[in-house]
Amino acid sequence: MAAASVVATGVVAAALLWVGGYDPLAAARAAARGAFGGRDAILSITLVRAIPLVLTGLAVALAFLAGTWNIGAEGQLYAGAVAGVWVGLEAGRLPAWALVPLLLAAAMVAGALWASVPILMKLRLGVGEVITSLLMSFVAVNLAAYMVHGPLQEPRGVFPQTAAIADAARLPMLVPGTRLHVGAVLAIALAVALWWLLRETRIGFQVRAVGASRTAAEIAGRIDSRRVTLGAFLASGALAGLAGGVQVAGVTYALYEGLSPGWGYTAIAVALLAGLHPLGVLVTGLLFGALDAGAAAMQRDAGVPAVWAMGVQALVILAVLALGRAQRHAEAELTGV
Amino acid sequence: MTSVLARLKGVERRFGSVQALAGADLEVRAGEVHAVLGENGAGKSTLLRVVGGMLRPDTGLLEIAGEPALLASPRDAWARGVGLVHQHFMLVPAFTVLENLALGRRGWRGRRTRDDRGLIEDATRLMDRTGLVVPLDALVEQLSVGHKQRVEILRTLLREPSVIALDEPTAALAPAETGALFALLRQLAGEGRGVVLVAHKIDEVLGVADRVTVLRKGRTVLCEPRERVDAGTLVAAMVGRDAPSRSLEDAPPGPTRPGARARGERVAWLDAVVVRDDSGRVSVDRASLEVHRGEIVGVASIEGSGQRELALVLSGRRDPAAGAATISAGVGFVPQDRTTEALIGEFDLVENVALALHDDPRVASRLRIDWREARALAQDVIARFGVVAPGVDVPAAELSGGNQQRLVVGRELLVASDLLVAENPARGLDVAATAFVHHELRRLTSDASGPGVVLVSNDLDEALALSDRLFVMSRGRLLPVPDAQRTREGVGTLMLGGGAGIDAEGRGAAGAAHA
Amino acid sequence: MSEAALVLFLEASVRLGVPLALAALGEAITERSGVINIGLEGSLIAGALGGALIALATGSGEVGVVGGAAAGLATALVFAAFSVGLGTDQIITGTAVTLGGLGFTGAIYQASFGASGAALTLPTLPPVRIPALADIPWIGTALFAQAPTAYLAYALAPALWFFLFRTPWGLELRACGEHPEAARAAGVRVQRVRLAATLFGGALAGLAGAHLALAHAGTFAENMSAGRGFIAIAVVALGRWNPILVLLAALLFGAAAALQFLLQAVGLDLPYQFFLALPYVVTLAALAGRLGHARAPAALGLAWTRPR
Repeated sequence: MAAASVVATGVVAAALLWVGGYDPLAAARAAARGAFGGRDAILSITLVRAIPLVLTGLAVALAFLAGTWNIGAEGQLYAGAVAGVWVGLEAGRLPAWALVPLLLAAAMVAGALWASVPILMKLRLGVGEVITSLLMSFVAVNLAAYMVHGPLQEPRGVFPQTAAIADAARLPMLVPGTRLHVGAVLAIALAVALWWLLRETRIGFQVRAVGASRTAAEIAGRIDSRRVTLGAFLASGALAGLAGGVQVAGVTYALYEGLSPGWGYTAIAVALLAGLHPLGVLVTGLLFGALDAGAAAMQRDAGVPAVWAMGVQALVILAVLALGRAQRHAEAELTGV
Repeated sequence: MTSVLARLKGVERRFGSVQALAGADLEVRAGEVHAVLGENGAGKSTLLRVVGGMLRPDTGLLEIAGEPALLASPRDAWARGVGLVHQHFMLVPAFTVLENLALGRRGWRGRRTRDDRGLIEDATRLMDRTGLVVPLDALVEQLSVGHKQRVEILRTLLREPSVIALDEPTAALAPAETGALFALLRQLAGEGRGVVLVAHKIDEVLGVADRVTVLRKGRTVLCEPRERVDAGTLVAAMVGRDAPSRSLEDAPPGPTRPGARARGERVAWLDAVVVRDDSGRVSVDRASLEVHRGEIVGVASIEGSGQRELALVLSGRRDPAAGAATISAGVGFVPQDRTTEALIGEFDLVENVALALHDDPRVASRLRIDWREARALAQDVIARFGVVAPGVDVPAAELSGGNQQRLVVGRELLVASDLLVAENPARGLDVAATAFVHHELRRLTSDASGPGVVLVSNDLDEALALSDRLFVMSRGRLLPVPDAQRTREGVGTLMLGGGAGIDAEGRGAAGAAHA
Repeated sequence: MSEAALVLFLEASVRLGVPLALAALGEAITERSGVINIGLEGSLIAGALGGALIALATGSGEVGVVGGAAAGLATALVFAAFSVGLGTDQIITGTAVTLGGLGFTGAIYQASFGASGAALTLPTLPPVRIPALADIPWIGTALFAQAPTAYLAYALAPALWFFLFRTPWGLELRACGEHPEAARAAGVRVQRVRLAATLFGGALAGLAGAHLALAHAGTFAENMSAGRGFIAIAVVALGRWNPILVLLAALLFGAAAALQFLLQAVGLDLPYQFFLALPYVVTLAALAGRLGHARAPAALGLAWTRPR
């Protein structure tokens, strides 16, 4: 079904491009070249762009699996980036083997903290987490902006960005000469770990049960659904925060406005297209990384604005939803309403 | 010759792999009360929903007042003079009674503002005529079940339907209220309407019906005037065997006197327990109860009396707000809504079995679940309890109701070493599955070393036949039923809160732990 | 603090609150019918761009506003086709529509005007001054010397209240949001009602977006909606889905956003981003504070399709 969604999206996107006066084939060729057109393209651009998408995709998938909507992964990412950069700047004298884990841990804690607001508001006050997590995202983006214009601004005070973090805080490169950092290994490891957790462990089963049917989980399974939901949502925030920390420690080595071109939102498409399957997220994260890389090339070479990528993401989500609905109709519900 | 108001012939309807209707016929005549009988799953509700425009048949003839009718929605049905009184009330809980009555009536008056005054007049007149009185400005969600049903009926009658069809209207009523309802039905028939009454309790309908249709497996197998049938022929038609075998008569004979069977140690104890429902209101008001191994304690009630919260406390799913509840560790719970409360439809059978076992050392260590062991247990349950399924890897939603219940019972028995709480366990099941459930409950308690069973039921006959000790839950109070009152009428009286709430020893309703 | 500063603050409050009010009033109707439209942000930005383009093409701000409403309606149509027509999950569908709205408006804008980011100048929607009322001291100019869309908001609130609670159509709409099954059993065409309510909400959001571009900023910029669609959804909840309270809540939020003028006048110099973040923080605080007991329509957000 994921394949069908991709195909459907491709068709609609091509049609829209054509209506807009662009050449769909030229755009596709440019995009493909930008994403896969060479060793450098693949390693330094596509894969690197896939890493934050995989991490936030895992975050969103986990939350959705637990029956909650984490639409605020973008904000949690920024929170993680701010915390990570702060550690990278302040604790620069620590050796790498201590500093890197510290930075990443700080990023995860920050992300979880940012996620704690919407989920606690939901559990304690009954406020829907969709709007609150979205609002928190806006706050986070502004907080990051404030940081780079103010307290964390680079010493000369000229550019709205932080100073570069200490060398010891930076993630080593996986393939020398490229920009592919070990964050890639971390992303893959986490995807596998999450998959294993959900399948083999008690807590993973509880998460899936609560997400599938809170009522049955509570009554038949005697599961404390509130605790499970809280834990899953916080873990989701931590993963998104980690994405921010990894990006700062592995690619940019500093924080600036617009660090994320909306990865937290793209993550929704990544997660849905993967059917919320952690290993699938590796594939779809890569796909959207390619789309991201291709979009820049598309703008350069075929004149199609890169913002198109966001539109394509939306189409993907709609395609997944529509086809999922159609599939369920085709399977013919057993009960009539 | 009475006119035929509505006719269905050869109606078929399939849902996925289930053929709900496979050639059903029905003729509704003016001035008649026409009962439609059949066991659970025979297609009665589906047929009614076709009549009421809620479902479209796959094939078949549907005529209203002699004209072929294609009912695409309830709106069309109303337009043709057909009104449905649903089993699960179609009322908006947040609206007042008046607003519910007003809903959908726009076409009749067509004025821009709601014609409240006219409606109030009409409604008041109708309430006088039928005796179904409810306060017009009360919020529906605050009404008792019986009152809600009155609103449901009033709403239908206000539209002056020529055909009025009621789906299992007695399920939510105490015995005394049933009589009043049937009198109303006769009155409506007397006005020249066609009344269709769907039920699965034979003795109830024999008193009120002029004509009886029996459905079996989606097909009409019998349609006769009342005089030409008796309980025996009806049961035979419903079940399809010559020798009528209702589950309760078939079950191994059990004592209906308290204390006649051996009882073991105590496994559950409630001491003046107060329980609140989800909205904070007191549902169980100082209930006291003891349950021992080897006995079936029955709690009979009508819906909304607090028996749900009682079941939740007894099964350890909820803590009391006051009082002490001491429940042994090995408790199983068969909740009344198996599809939403007992099973997760999209999970397969192994995962559904794991739902009860995920913190049980047989299947789970501190971190992991041993899926191989869970699978073995699931296969064992399926074999021992006769669950018909293509394998353990199918989603639970694909099983039939009866097989789902077998699975649930089997799974809960894996953990119910001390106590099993069963809430309307035979709801929606056909005769064979019902027999299975009742048989299991009896078997479990056949000696004093097995678990104790608490049977919470809205079905009086079930409670009367199976319980060693019987209680009634009425408006939150748990009342023991003295031997002398162990009849339908006696229990019914207790349900409505009347008379002998105080037993022979002079103990008050809240006090008695033993009958 | 001078009177001038206070009046300025009040004027800014209303000016900033009007687009919120319009979007929230529309969404209130949508949610009363049982549909939560997270894609409101998409309708809003579509309305901003649509309004801008139409105004440029016709040279008229008024026509631009209508164009904005149409763009908002079209966006909501996409949302409704999936969530009401097919019964897909409303949250995810709405998120997709918002993403698509932001993405496509950005793309169209860049394609039309280049990626340079130079500001457009648009024909604006000038404020209209109501003669006698605008002379009321303190609040006169704040309330009655605003763009015409503000007066639309003032008129819509009581009109929608009357519609919801005093007409049979309003009763049917509310029934769809409380218990669609019961509504259908009573003969109401639930999907049609929900579709109409969603389109209405989208049109108003588009109107709000056009107001933003034509009466407020005087230009279009990518992502200029800045999450107002989401704030509008929160405003609906804070206003307890009651149109009159929703209008008041929206104006209150306008005041929160206008707070920067007041604080600057008092001499408080806080970082720029603080004021940018303020509306969102205030929304969160308000949701935390008052929402506990408000009762949403019971069937809000639950997908429901007509049985076949």
